[in-house]
Amino acid sequence: MLPFLFRRTLGALVILFLLTTFTFFVFFAAGDPAQMSCGKNCTADNIALIHQNLGLDKPITTQYWDFLVGIFTGRNFSVGHCPAPCFGYSFATKQQVWATLLDRLPTTASLAIGGAVVFLTVGLATGLLAAWKRGTFVDKTFTSVSMVLSSAQIYILGPIVMGIFVYSGLLESPRYVDFTSGPAAWGAGLLIPWLVMATIFTAQYTRMSRSTMVEQLQEEHVRTAKAKGMSGRYVFLRYAWRGSLIPIVTILGMDLGSLFGGAMITEYTFQLAGLGRLAITSVTTLDLPMILGVLIFSSALILLFNIIVDATYAFIDPRVRLS
Amino acid sequence: MNAFSTRRARAVVVALAAGSLALTGCTSGSSTNNDKAQTDKDAAAQAKAVPLGTAKDSTGPAPEVKGARKGGTIRVYQRDSYNHLDPAQMYVSDQRDLAKLIFRGLTTYKQDDDGKTTLVGDLATDSGTTTDKGKTWKYTLKDNIKFADGKPITSADMRHSIERMYAKFITDGPMYVQQWLSGEGTTYRKALPDGPYKGKHLPDSVLETPNDKTIIFHFKQPQPQLPYALAMAGHSVVPDSKKDTKDKYDVDPVCSGPYMIADFKSGKSMKLKRNPYWDPKTDSARHQYVDGFNITFNHQASDSTKRLISDQGEAKNAVSFTNSVEPTLTRQALDDKSASKRLVQGYQPYVWQMNMNMDRIKDKKIRDAITYALPNGQIVRINGGSYGGEIAGGLLAPTVAGYKKGYDPYGKLKHPNGEPEKAKKLLKEAGKVGMKLVYAYSNTEIRQKEAVAIETALNEAGFDVQKKEVDAASWYQQMGKVDNGFDIYMTGWGQDWADASTVIPPSYDGSTIQDGSSNYSHIRDQHVTDEVKRISQITDPAKAADEWQKLHFYIVEKVNPAAPVFYTKMLQLYGSNIGGARYNTDINYLDPTTLYLKK
Repeated sequence: MLPFLFRRTLGALVILFLLTTFTFFVFFAAGDPAQMSCGKNCTADNIALIHQNLGLDKPITTQYWDFLVGIFTGRNFSVGHCPAPCFGYSFATKQQVWATLLDRLPTTASLAIGGAVVFLTVGLATGLLAAWKRGTFVDKTFTSVSMVLSSAQIYILGPIVMGIFVYSGLLESPRYVDFTSGPAAWGAGLLIPWLVMATIFTAQYTRMSRSTMVEQLQEEHVRTAKAKGMSGRYVFLRYAWRGSLIPIVTILGMDLGSLFGGAMITEYTFQLAGLGRLAITSVTTLDLPMILGVLIFSSALILLFNIIVDATYAFIDPRVRLS
Repeated sequence: MNAFSTRRARAVVVALAAGSLALTGCTSGSSTNNDKAQTDKDAAAQAKAVPLGTAKDSTGPAPEVKGARKGGTIRVYQRDSYNHLDPAQMYVSDQRDLAKLIFRGLTTYKQDDDGKTTLVGDLATDSGTTTDKGKTWKYTLKDNIKFADGKPITSADMRHSIERMYAKFITDGPMYVQQWLSGEGTTYRKALPDGPYKGKHLPDSVLETPNDKTIIFHFKQPQPQLPYALAMAGHSVVPDSKKDTKDKYDVDPVCSGPYMIADFKSGKSMKLKRNPYWDPKTDSARHQYVDGFNITFNHQASDSTKRLISDQGEAKNAVSFTNSVEPTLTRQALDDKSASKRLVQGYQPYVWQMNMNMDRIKDKKIRDAITYALPNGQIVRINGGSYGGEIAGGLLAPTVAGYKKGYDPYGKLKHPNGEPEKAKKLLKEAGKVGMKLVYAYSNTEIRQKEAVAIETALNEAGFDVQKKEVDAASWYQQMGKVDNGFDIYMTGWGQDWADASTVIPPSYDGSTIQDGSSNYSHIRDQHVTDEVKRISQITDPAKAADEWQKLHFYIVEKVNPAAPVFYTKMLQLYGSNIGGARYNTDINYLDPTTLYLKK
């Protein structure tokens, strides 16, 4: 297991390095960020000062080296010291990129975890039930409803739900309240985004868990188990379900990685200030350090979840060897 | 009074992109109707020159708002976060709005219940005294004025606040005062290249502080507009102490207004709390009724409008400082029995114009043809109808002193959808039927909708329109390039105070043309340049206003560098538990200084 984790982590770091390098050179070599952060009363002197303050007066390779070193050792900028891991200061807000990312992470994590709990619970339950009752009215109902819901989009469903529940005063407006300052308020503030997100994701998990269960029920080891005289329910849950989890865990890992990286549309629709919203704002304001920070941070989270998923395979399916 | 400024222009972007535009006059309180007569009356009121107040006008406390009570926190739904907190970097509308609550300067605007506005002393005892028609201005500071950390505000702080605007890291604030003191354009910076930070100061012959209470400005030329310029957020006071951390000050300023920043998470939220050292007896223009403001960002106009129309839960205690009623929800807001009682409305200072690049379109007949062909009425409808704007006949807004209602030399009011036949005739006379017109517009929803209407109308008039979509984020930078490669493009502009001197020189003086200039149509007319110089020296505001208007008529009729399109208006909603809501004719939004919670 350990060698596997080491190998995968090393691979992830290489990917992160390549991604960082590519992004840095694409963004920083493409134009002069000082022009964008300089206001209307801008002269050559002002530009020179910004270059100096941001370290942009140095060769691009030196800037890149400083950036990389800063991640591990921290850096000094004119606006203050940036402790490790230092991703620099935002051009637009003058806040430290890393501090901003950490500030936005709880919103995104709460959205992702809460949403995942709902869509995973409901999705797996309905999928299993549909597989159990294959060919019946229940199966057909779940299958067709999930088909319809999986084609819905958050930016369509979100405003409709807001109109029905929030603007009518039935439920609280979506907002993020820190979990530590009150779990009830935390849950109430995120209830609508969770439900909307879950509605769309649930459909996917219903369909997938149903189809993989149906496949598993036709596998030889399941037939053998049945032939041994085990009860239908035991075989269904102990043998077939376990086997069906691998593709679900794979998809869940990818979904969680993406959601942790920032559920842009969900956060935008519900006015939540998470990483997704930060990514949108950074792009629209051409805030290069923040774009770079969000990209690296989100990519790291996606890679992390991929490693977790791969490691989880071993627990679910003993046939998978990690050595 | 300089070549700058896409900034005011950018303020238009803030307003428009928020879906913001809406109607009518500067009525106070809960004015709700769509009565055009009232609109006209209020437009006229807003177009009056703001008088300079006396020491009595400047003495606090401000008259109590009827029924006001203390306590509670107001929720604020805002679209955009604040880019700057250093007052010297503040310029655009939402920053000016915040500055009203947290900063103070030498002068400010005081508005009474009838919407009458007076320029009064804020930290100063009056709006300023001059004995030589504006060459020298003297200000005396009030007693008991303090920063939010308890430090008394002295003339050294005021001097510091002016001098630090010369430093290189200040690139976004107003430049009027520095230019008047030390030179035009950006040459003023040479007078104090490092600001006051290396021990150097402007000589007493320029800026004098003979004692802790007195500050005297000495100009080479009379500057009768100084009291108005000093009321801009950019000239708010900054302490002459270690707490001025230069470029770091932009994230951690020392407040001086009735409220101070308790917490700010850029792009997410801001909390304001009472400033314990603000003394109402020193402030004739502001109140401190509520305990604080809880502002969250990322609320599009559609979201804030729906929340405020529904008036449920926390929305009862909510406002938006700068989001307007979303144009498509205007009718719903007006028809809703409850919401219609919770509206404020007024003119904004912006005029949208279709610039015609005079480097590329040299024949006035062609420019006139474009002006006649433009479908102003359709463009206004796209911007929210009569609640979003009003067809413009000229290039000066109804909020500029001396505005002449009904001025419409191209008959846009009579022919709101354009006169294609008349335009075609002019084009034929110019021998340019079928002429290619490269039309640039930004990639926002409203501008895209406008582009379709404009393209259709111009093609009908005999042009061959080539549309070019440009990124909204860099729109003004791209249009500000002298060699921008476009024939026609729309921009917005608003005055810095109700005087044409903050509109005509930056937009139409040919001597300002350079990359980044706001003379977007590249008008180079010697008469205009000469007149700008001459009128800038007139010390009588009423006479100057008349002369600016005459020059305005010359520009529109004899040169026609830009077709007038529409004047912008603002319509805003507030929650049912909010009291003291009124339109502020200085910031042109809901007045944040008079708000209270009813219970």
